[in-house]
Formats: sequence, C-alpha cells, structure tokens
Amino acid sequence: MKTKLYKNPYLQFVLLGILLALIPILANAGLIKVSHITTLGGTFIFAIAALGLNLLLGYSGLISLGTAGFMGLAAYFSAYFTVDLGLPFELALILSVVIPTLLGILVGLVSLKIEGIYLAIATLAVAEVMKKTFEEFDFFTNGFSGKTADYPTLLGFFTLDRTTMYYFIVAVMIVIMILTYNLVNGRLGRALNAMRGSEAASQAMGVNLLKHKLVAFALATAYASVAGVLYVHFIRYSYPTVWNMGLSLNFLAMIVIGGLRSIYGTLLGTFIVFAVPDLFLKQLPYFDQLSYVLNGVLIILVIIFYPNGLIFAGRDIKKLFTKKKEVK
Amino acid sequence: MGTFLQVILRSLETGSLYALGALGIIIIFRTSNVTNFSHGVVAMFNTFVVTYFFMNWGLPLGVAILLGIISAIIVGILIDLVVIRHTKKVSEMGKQIVTLGLIMVVLGITPVLFGVDPLRLPKLIEQGNLSILGADISYNGLFNIVFGILIMVGLFYVLQKTKIGLAIRATASNEHTAKLMGVPTETVTLGAWAVAGALGVISGVMAAPMTSVTLNLMDEIQVNALVAVVLGGFQTFYGPVIGAYIIGVGRNLLLYYVSSVWGGQILYILILVFLVFRPYGLVGKKIVKKV
Repeated sequence: MKTKLYKNPYLQFVLLGILLALIPILANAGLIKVSHITTLGGTFIFAIAALGLNLLLGYSGLISLGTAGFMGLAAYFSAYFTVDLGLPFELALILSVVIPTLLGILVGLVSLKIEGIYLAIATLAVAEVMKKTFEEFDFFTNGFSGKTADYPTLLGFFTLDRTTMYYFIVAVMIVIMILTYNLVNGRLGRALNAMRGSEAASQAMGVNLLKHKLVAFALATAYASVAGVLYVHFIRYSYPTVWNMGLSLNFLAMIVIGGLRSIYGTLLGTFIVFAVPDLFLKQLPYFDQLSYVLNGVLIILVIIFYPNGLIFAGRDIKKLFTKKKEVK
Repeated sequence: MGTFLQVILRSLETGSLYALGALGIIIIFRTSNVTNFSHGVVAMFNTFVVTYFFMNWGLPLGVAILLGIISAIIVGILIDLVVIRHTKKVSEMGKQIVTLGLIMVVLGITPVLFGVDPLRLPKLIEQGNLSILGADISYNGLFNIVFGILIMVGLFYVLQKTKIGLAIRATASNEHTAKLMGVPTETVTLGAWAVAGALGVISGVMAAPMTSVTLNLMDEIQVNALVAVVLGGFQTFYGPVIGAYIIGVGRNLLLYYVSSVWGGQILYILILVFLVFRPYGLVGKKIVKKV
C-alpha cells in the first residue's frame, strides 16, 4: 500500500504553514498592505481559540460562551507577568495558560456534573464575573484605560517585531493544528465521537462521560488562553471591552460557519468572520454592524441547511458534478 | 430597619424585571424546546421601537408602549415562522446556536435603524414617593412591582385554569402526543413566542428609565433571567419566577451589605455552588433519559 506523499496530513499542515509564512514577503514586495499582516496574524490567533471551541462543541456538543472571557484572562495575566513582574515570556506563557485552564476545569466540574445545557449558562455567568473583574480589578488590569504589553523576547535575547511575531503565531497555530489532529484521531477523539453518537451506549462501553467532557472543556480553555497570550503580545494592548459577549459569539460563528469537527473548516470560518470584513468590507457604511448581521444570518442558515459547514461546500459541489456525469 | 425594607423593596422591583424575563424564556423553552439566548436583545430592540415612537413621533408613552408590544408580538411571530419552525430536525445544541445567531442579527440591525446614540425613556409615573416604615419607594417602582406580579398571576391563571393553558401545558409536556390529541401545537408555539416577546418589551420599558436605552439595555436582565431559570429548574413554569425573585433580593442584599462592586458576582458563584448540590434547581426533578 502506497500513500501519496502530498496526502500526508502532517505534511499538509506544514505546507500550509510555509504558505502562510510567505505572506510578509508579499507585503515587503508591496503586493499587499503591511496592515494586512496585523489582520491576518489576528485571524490566526482567533483561529487557535476557535479550534479549542471546535473540540468542545464539535466533538462533545457543549457550548461555551466564556471563550472571550478566558482568552482575556490569559491576556491580562501575560501582560501582568511580563510587564509588572518582569518574568520571562516563556514562564509567563506557561503560567497564563495554566491558571485560566485550572479555573476552567473548576467551572467545568461544577456545570458539567449537572447537564450539558447548563454549561452555556454557567460560562455566561462566569464571563460576566470576568468582565467585571477586568473593569474593576485596577492594579491587575488597569481598568478601563487598558493594559499594554510588548512584543515578546524569546529565550531572553531574541526580541520579536511585528513580522517575526507573525511567524511565531503561524508556527504556534500549525503546532496546535497538528496537536488537535492527533487528539481527535486518537483515543480522546474516539471516545468523544462515541459520546456524540450516544451517551448511554458510550457509557456502557466504558467511556467516562464527565472525564471526557471535562478534558474537552479544559482543552478549549487552554487553547483560548494560548490565543489570549499571543493576542496581548501581538496587538500589545487589552481593554475590558475587547473580551465581551460579542467576541464569544463570533467564535461560535467561526466554527459553525466554517465546519464543525474540521480543522481547516475552523480556519476558513475564522477567515470569513474575522478577516473578510476587515480586508474587504471596511469601506461600507455601518460595516461593523452589517458584518455582524451577516455572521448571524450565516450561522442560522448553515445550522438549518448545511450543518457540516462551508468547508465541505467544495467537495459537495464536486460530488454534484461527478454524479451528473455518471447519469449521462 | 428602614434601609433593610428599602433594599427589599428595590429588590422586588428588579426581581419582577428578572421574573418577566425568566418567564419569557421558560415559556419558549417549554413549548418549542429552545433555550432562548436572544430574549434580551429582542426585548431591547422593541424597547427601541417604543422609544422611537415616543421621541420621534411624540406619541404619549402609553400609546408608544402599546405599539411596542404590537411590534414585539410581530417580531416574536416572525422569529418563530421564519427561523424556529424550520429547526425541528436540528439538535438542541443547534437550536441554542440559532438563537445566538439571532442575537448577532438583532444587535447588528438595531443601530442601523435607530442610530448609535443612547436614548432616554421616562418613567411611566413621573413623580411621587411612598414612605412605608421609613423606606421610600417611588410610585413608579411600586407600579412595576404590582404590575409585574399582576401579569404573572394572570399568566398562571391562564396556564392552569383555561383551555388555552391546557393546550400550552399539553404541548410542553409532550409535543407529539399533544398533536395526536388535536392540540394545534404550532399555533401554541407561535403564541408562546408572541407572549414572550410582549413580556420582554414590558420588562424593557420598566428597565429603561433606570439607565438609558442602549444596545446593552437588557444584558444584565438576560443573564440574570437565564440564571434564574437554571436556579428554578427547567421543569415548571413557576420555578424560574421564584428563582428570579431570589436573585433580585439576594443580589441587592449582597450589593448593599457585602460589597457594592462584587455583590452580583458573589451571587453567581453562590448559585453555581448551590447547583452542585441541587443540580436540577429549586423545584426541578431529574429528567430520566430513555435510550
């Protein structure tokens, strides 16, 4: 049995990474605007958090409305550790991912013990608590005036700038994509898939429901935290208003529109929700509101008519054509 | 004693706001099995409609509110007809996501129609205070408390004592069987969305004078109403209402006596802890799932 080399999923991820890394060169050559690098970097950061939510929603059918809250928490932690305490970036990264994740596990433990439907409401309440914390906990978050951070310094001497930070983000995203691929094709993915089919049946097969739901939620929180850390060191500020309900809803839109349980779908969805309005629609009046309406309508349409998400559109169209040929 | 009573009276006022919200959410949940996250923003939209008629057309507040209620009923019916009715085959999670999508649509449309500036809506009863045992409450606050309770008593009377109520309860307990028995379940669901919309705009108009009419007008009420539904349990109509008043009172007591900044957040955490010990809410029972 010979598998073609270009069909190797790991190679595909790496190729995608190389492709995305070429973009700053295009910008240097003057083919695209330099500001687009910021947009694209932001897109990939959001894609990381969306990947985590996709693990949770796509595989275990649980909705979290706290993605933005946990992401913001990690962002503030990282800014606090690197700027106020002067810790090295690597240590700050680890701490700012571990602390929100532990908090997420605590929230998950409380709400998942009850019923899946409660997680959405519990995370909504937690998001409210966090929003208030960001606004009021002055010495830590600097309140409404916002917290600033710098581009990170790797290994103590390698200080990044915008372009190198962009490379760093792409690298992290590709690593996380590969990690996600391994997770969902390994034991965890199989258990979650079985749970999605039938909770009772999977329980009878020896899948611990609470444990696996909790792992999925913890992973979603950890991914969001990584994204938060990258965000604060790439955009270099963090306001309480960034981490609102609207952002959590946008994450939901990204994965639903792009495709549940699909890694590339998540990236596509993030691109549609986050980058397309920023890159192409900015000239229109009320473009913020209109892109929001568009995302909302897309969510509803995709859920009702095309539950697999737009990433499968290409394949389905292809199928349509080949079928027609066969009929002839 | 005076301050304590004052805090309690204020809590009853906010409690009735939360209760109206919670009632709207539970009516929809029981009849169409949707956890409606968009209840608050739809109410916010209709409050904008009221404000628009009041400010731009110069209509009396009462007439504007009536028009707002009509608009709420129309919007509720439209949501059911255009969106929710087509989600019969969608999973429960999918339906939740659909209502989250509705939030985005409404939040996007509202500023396009009504502008981005915060608007003001006056109280229904402008002046006057009542003193009871050293506690002051405005006539408007008193009106909100009494009116909220009256609406709820009326709704529960309809639910428990009339044929329409029987149809709603039959739909709520088992839609399929109800349909077999000749209950027009689609009309019942449609009515539920209309009633919920009306409840929403009423709570919106009550809440508006406390702040200003903005996109975030109903956020707090929406979150508290959802938490109230969880606290009261999803299985009864009255549980969420009890939950809403508990949240109203508990929140204000914590805000006044414990911390004016963190009171609300402490309450959420207390409720989460409470749910660990009573997972199905105050009056809820465990739902037995059949395989």
